Amino acid sequence: MSSNSGLESTIDQVLERNSSEFSQSLKNSLTDAQKTLSDSLPMLEEEYEKIIADGKKEADKIEKQIIGSADLQSRNKTLLIVQESTDKVLEKAKEKISNMDRNSEYSSLIAKLLTEATSALNTSDVIVFTNSKDKDVVQSAVSNISGAELSNDTIDCMGGVKVTSKDGSMSFDNTIDARIELLKPLIRKDIAAQFNLGNN
Amino acid sequence: MSNQGGVQYSKIAEIKGPLVIVDGVDNAAFDELVEIETTEGERRLGKVLEVGNGKAVVQVFEGTTGLSVSGTNAKFVGKVMEMPVSEQVLGRVFDGLGRAKDGLPEPVADSFLDINGAPMNPEQREYPKDFIQTGVSVIDGMLTLVRGQKLPIFSGSGMSHNILAAQIARQAAIIGTDDSFAVVFAAIGVQYSEAEYFKRSLEESGALKRSVLFLNLADDPAIERIITPRVALTVAEYLAYDLGMHVLVILTDMTNYAEALREISAAREEVPGRKGYPGYLYTDLSTIYERAGRLKGKKGSVTQVPILTMPSDDITHPIPDLTGYITEGQLVLGRDLFRQGVYPPINILMSLSRIMKDGIGEGSTRADHQEISNQNYDAYSRAQEVRALAGIVGKAGLTPVDLNYMNFGDEFEKKFLTQAIDENRTIEETLGLQWNCVSKLPKNELTKVKDKYVDQYYKE
Amino acid sequence: MVAQGKIVWISGPAVKADGMADAKMYETVSVGDSKLIGEVIRLTGDVAFIQVYESTSGLKPGEPVVGTGDPLSVFLGPGIIGQIYDGIQRPLKDLAAKSGSFIGRGITTTPVDMTKEYHFNPTVAVGDEVEAGNIIGTVPESSLIEHKILVPPDHQGGKITKIVSEGDYNLDTEIATVEKDGQTSTLMMWHKWPVRQPRPYLKRYDPTVPLLTGQRVIDTFFPLAKGGTGSIPGAFGTGKTVTLHQIAKWADSQVVVYIGCGERGNEMTEVLVEFPELKDPRTGKPLMDRTVLVANTSNMPVAAREASIYTGVTIAEYYRDMGYDVVLVADSTSRWAEALREMSGRLEEMPAEEGYPSYLASRLAEFYERAGRVQARGSPERDGSVSLVGAVSPSGGDFTEPVTTHTMRFIKTFWALDASLAYSRHYPSINWMNSYSGYLADIAKWWSENISKDWLDIRSQTYGILQREDTLKEIVKLLGPEALPDEEKLILEVARMIKIGILQQNSFDDVDTYCSPEKQFKLMKLQVDFYNKGQQALKDGASLADIRSMNVISLLLKARMDVKDDEMPKLDKIETDMIEQFNSVTGVKVQN
Repeated sequence: MSSNSGLESTIDQVLERNSSEFSQSLKNSLTDAQKTLSDSLPMLEEEYEKIIADGKKEADKIEKQIIGSADLQSRNKTLLIVQESTDKVLEKAKEKISNMDRNSEYSSLIAKLLTEATSALNTSDVIVFTNSKDKDVVQSAVSNISGAELSNDTIDCMGGVKVTSKDGSMSFDNTIDARIELLKPLIRKDIAAQFNLGNN
Repeated sequence: MSNQGGVQYSKIAEIKGPLVIVDGVDNAAFDELVEIETTEGERRLGKVLEVGNGKAVVQVFEGTTGLSVSGTNAKFVGKVMEMPVSEQVLGRVFDGLGRAKDGLPEPVADSFLDINGAPMNPEQREYPKDFIQTGVSVIDGMLTLVRGQKLPIFSGSGMSHNILAAQIARQAAIIGTDDSFAVVFAAIGVQYSEAEYFKRSLEESGALKRSVLFLNLADDPAIERIITPRVALTVAEYLAYDLGMHVLVILTDMTNYAEALREISAAREEVPGRKGYPGYLYTDLSTIYERAGRLKGKKGSVTQVPILTMPSDDITHPIPDLTGYITEGQLVLGRDLFRQGVYPPINILMSLSRIMKDGIGEGSTRADHQEISNQNYDAYSRAQEVRALAGIVGKAGLTPVDLNYMNFGDEFEKKFLTQAIDENRTIEETLGLQWNCVSKLPKNELTKVKDKYVDQYYKE
Repeated sequence: MVAQGKIVWISGPAVKADGMADAKMYETVSVGDSKLIGEVIRLTGDVAFIQVYESTSGLKPGEPVVGTGDPLSVFLGPGIIGQIYDGIQRPLKDLAAKSGSFIGRGITTTPVDMTKEYHFNPTVAVGDEVEAGNIIGTVPESSLIEHKILVPPDHQGGKITKIVSEGDYNLDTEIATVEKDGQTSTLMMWHKWPVRQPRPYLKRYDPTVPLLTGQRVIDTFFPLAKGGTGSIPGAFGTGKTVTLHQIAKWADSQVVVYIGCGERGNEMTEVLVEFPELKDPRTGKPLMDRTVLVANTSNMPVAAREASIYTGVTIAEYYRDMGYDVVLVADSTSRWAEALREMSGRLEEMPAEEGYPSYLASRLAEFYERAGRVQARGSPERDGSVSLVGAVSPSGGDFTEPVTTHTMRFIKTFWALDASLAYSRHYPSINWMNSYSGYLADIAKWWSENISKDWLDIRSQTYGILQREDTLKEIVKLLGPEALPDEEKLILEVARMIKIGILQQNSFDDVDTYCSPEKQFKLMKLQVDFYNKGQQALKDGASLADIRSMNVISLLLKARMDVKDDEMPKLDKIETDMIEQFNSVTGVKVQN
């Protein structure tokens, strides 16, 4: 047994040493792990904060974008409505003008449009165009201007005249359509004011 | 203009380049707006460059392609070219002539303004002195932008000028505590992607609703580019002086503008100045750049950041040269820095902000601002000399002080100059970084700053 | 009979009108329905070629052109000082009152307020004989300027038959009547003079008195004389405007005329903001009280830019005729030349170099010839001067372009601005190797009599060091600084000190912005002493490192900012320190 006891003690010793080594290495790895953990914590926190910050930035961006574009969209819708209304108003006005009585007031308007045109062209040697409805009114105005003649061709317009020099090198569009075109921005401004869009 | 105008002429004597010469004209004014009608009924805009003896020389903005001597009509509109303006232009996109391009109807106008503007009376100017924080360190710290200033970016092809301009527009816009800022962006012959980048950048910062965009893209008519900066500045002036906003105007790329001008000059057979550009290029550019400023008794301001690409990176080329004589400084982008991947690649030695001194210092930024900036300039210039020397004699041939300067140069470029595209630094951070840089030098090298500032800010 | 014609052709600022047979060359005309101001610059048959001083936008052929009978002239009388005019002497304040923040068109104004009363003090009496150029009375115009009322240079003179007594009168008052050969004429406190015609004087002197500007690199190294001409060419960003502003601020003249010719609007605003605040270093009075501004900025009509130079120089000559030293600063003559080029192009004249007209050189010569130190006409006897300083903006910074090269022929002092100096923030960026002054010999006497008899010698020594450094730099570029012997390294060292301590000058520093001639000399002398003592110390065995570590160096470098003009003993203290420190360096070595 003595040999046995020797063996046992040897085993015990080996075991003891190993266990102490084992426990030591266990301890070491524990502190290592703890160290790693404690080391990585701030890094994690940083990472975490960065993710949050980036997310926030992105969210910020999107929020701003949404708010900005929502404002814009509602403004743009109003714009479209104003445009629609302008078109409607103009449509109505045009209809009214087209169906207007060709009375004396109208003939003096035509006469005015005609002289304006000839003075702009700086000659009365002109050919005058108008629509079929106004032919008579224009004819009488044209006959007051020496050199001017009314064309047999008619043009498509609501009223008024288009005047061309006889050599065809110059012309002046004084139809009511052309005049309305000039006034359009002002008409739109008026309508927009109704929508409170002028100054917000 | 006294006469109504509106006469249409059909005798076209000649069409050459962007010009149409109309014959038999006896009722037209210099500078008058002209509507050209093609045989197909298409309408193009132009203006009178010269009139007299029965002839009018008309410059057609949308080009003369497809025009013929017979069948083309020119209608003299009776007024100079005007831009309809109102607060409604904010958030809108226009073409290079100021017509709606976003599918929406034209804005409802409060008034119509001559796009050429009128020269500001120098006596009525308010001297610019309000600091604009752009959040870009090198600008805020050493090339400060001031409200009402015109500070161009001199770049070269392919460099990051548009990214920088977009960053300035975004960040300068956000910082201002008062809400009444606006950005006017004029794309002059640039690519779609560049314009789109800018638009998206404004969108993402929520600034689009306070912006107005004018787009003349690379494939749009070249002569239109003569008009684009002018309509943009007309809107800017309206927003600034009528509505009291602080407007930042970005014009990119002015080189394309000057080329359009050269094209017209060549078609008119004028005696050219340098490199074929007309002799009046300086005067012409000044009628754009001088539209920046502040006015006595008016709340708003127009600040311009024009961008131009220097042909072959040559700063003595007439376009950057004449621009530099008019603007209040310049931000020059350096090819070397750009190649090294530095952003923003601003070469500070060639750059300058002329009115910086009035916008900084105690009460606006910090008392040591000018001096620390001077010290950084001085040191960086010395660092560059040392680098050049080291290239010849090697590091071994350098004195210890020289080596300090090399360290300074590295710190300066890596920590101060370099910055992220979405990094918005406060002026305090910027000044701190400047002190970090000079702290690489021994104290007795700091000859440009007062001792009291050294004691306060130098980092041992 | 005044000309009355009609417009036949318009192209930008150039207008042709026919029916103008009665018009005279350089006559002022009213153009179009909106009555724009123009000037006849060529007559062919009855067609007049007119340059219009206002925007011609909207002008039409057929509109009228009416002559005024008078050439383009300026108003010369009390009230000019402190004003800011456009190129044709319209006060910008009045334009603003009429058209707001932006300049309108067709506005007429008077150059000064005619209703304002001035205190007139007659200096002649009834019965006195007067002739052209005589002073007949004085008027206090500003805190710095006593305005002398002159018999106009083109007046035939005669006997005073009436003169008002001392008292307050407005400018519409007839203050005297003169009779000659039975003809009576009246005199006002003002007269007009055509801008393109130099005002006459009695005789011309050599320029022997320096025009002191308080700028070291100018006064000490490349001086200008009173009545002299100087030019300052520089690429953009080289600090041209700042240097010109410094001259306008600190020059020891009694009157300054500053012409902003085709330059930035904000620069004029800066002058307007700054000058009333700044005090003249010699009198303590606001600088604006001696300054007249003519502003035709780059975006203002180009033809008026051409006129602005003449408007300015005629005003300068007028104050010269009163017996004052006047400095005229023109920024920039290149823009003026460009205006000439533009008009010439519209006239379809045959161009010379770079499209400039062939008469560019003669126009420049005529302008610079209007400088001079003179004895004015009339009694009492008095001397005055006009010094001309013109900026040049060479395209691409290239000094071989026409405006720079022609200018160099007609000026005697040349301050070459250097972009590379400016890039390294060496201001003023006047290159000491490329600049020159033709007045050095003439004014050396003044320095020797008033400051120190050693001035010329010390200056030559200082400049010599800089020249040596310039040569040595080439070697350093190839071999590095360590390749040089210590004596030569010392040259580099002292040259660096001269650059920082003398040549550089901070215009934004309260002390450094102006440097008295005494201080300039002393600073220079200290540097030369340092150099000589340094070389001696090296010979005595001191090491360069010892010399470099002397703390007197930093004192020398900062003295320009640390020592005020009235603290000269502080510089003596630096001198004693220097001697002591050199003694100790060599002393230590000797003991070893």
